[in-house]
Amino acid sequence: MTDHSRIGFTTAPTVVDVDAWRVKLFCQATGETDAVYWNAEAAHAAGGRACPVPPTFLKAIEGEHFSSAQLMKLLDVPLRGVLHAEQAFEHFAPVHVGDRVEVSRTVTDIHDKKAGAFTFIVVDTHYRVGGKPVATSRQTILVRNAVNAAQAA
Amino acid sequence: MTPTPYPAQIELACGPVTSLDLALFAAASGDHNLLHLDPEAALAAGFDRPVVHGMLTMAYTARLCSSHFGAGSVRALQTRFTGVARLGDTVRLEGRLARMEGTQAVYELSAKAEGGGELMAGTARIERWSTA
Repeated sequence: MTDHSRIGFTTAPTVVDVDAWRVKLFCQATGETDAVYWNAEAAHAAGGRACPVPPTFLKAIEGEHFSSAQLMKLLDVPLRGVLHAEQAFEHFAPVHVGDRVEVSRTVTDIHDKKAGAFTFIVVDTHYRVGGKPVATSRQTILVRNAVNAAQAA
Repeated sequence: MTPTPYPAQIELACGPVTSLDLALFAAASGDHNLLHLDPEAALAAGFDRPVVHGMLTMAYTARLCSSHFGAGSVRALQTRFTGVARLGDTVRLEGRLARMEGTQAVYELSAKAEGGGELMAGTARIERWSTA
């Protein structure tokens, strides 16, 4: 059973650099074809100060700070029974290659459903650049307790 | 009356998802869960093939929007993963214009594995950059 006392757990903020190579790799992996994300000239021509990052790239930045796998370890949840149930992002300002993003994550809720067969873990992440909020995200993680119990047996 | 600049329907097909796509995405995203890479780990979790990262399906969803409205147009994106795509699947994404909120368009989103079930339902809030 997941340790509900971890509700409210918050990571100490750390700064993660937005590296050009990682944004390019992310684009390769996702089939992105718009060069604005990796070609600075294309970004300038589009009116940007540098290459922007794709909307969901911040999840990679978040993982560099404190990944959900690390969080599951902290909560003593084996990854085997874990699925990603929901994910949301809200963007307040663009994030660019070269930015230094301050990241912090908070476990905002842990609750059981179906008589404890499933546990849902909700994690909010805050992203800041230069002290200003640029985005927030919310991840809902589904733990299938039966899968983990079967493996432990 | 000014016609809406936002189309009623947007579509994108991504894939078929290869093992190279999953390996590259694991490296790019930092999600190294073997469920996405190793057939045996997938079997142990009850899946006949490695499972596509939910975040890869979501990245495709972001592409559905940005390919129509440009980089920086996605102001908010929310997805609920209702199924899993697996290695070899083609992911078909659709967005339907639900309403306008001021200058922003709200699309209701869905993703399906070609020949398979529903993968994702969600919403996107879009605002185009003005070039004026």
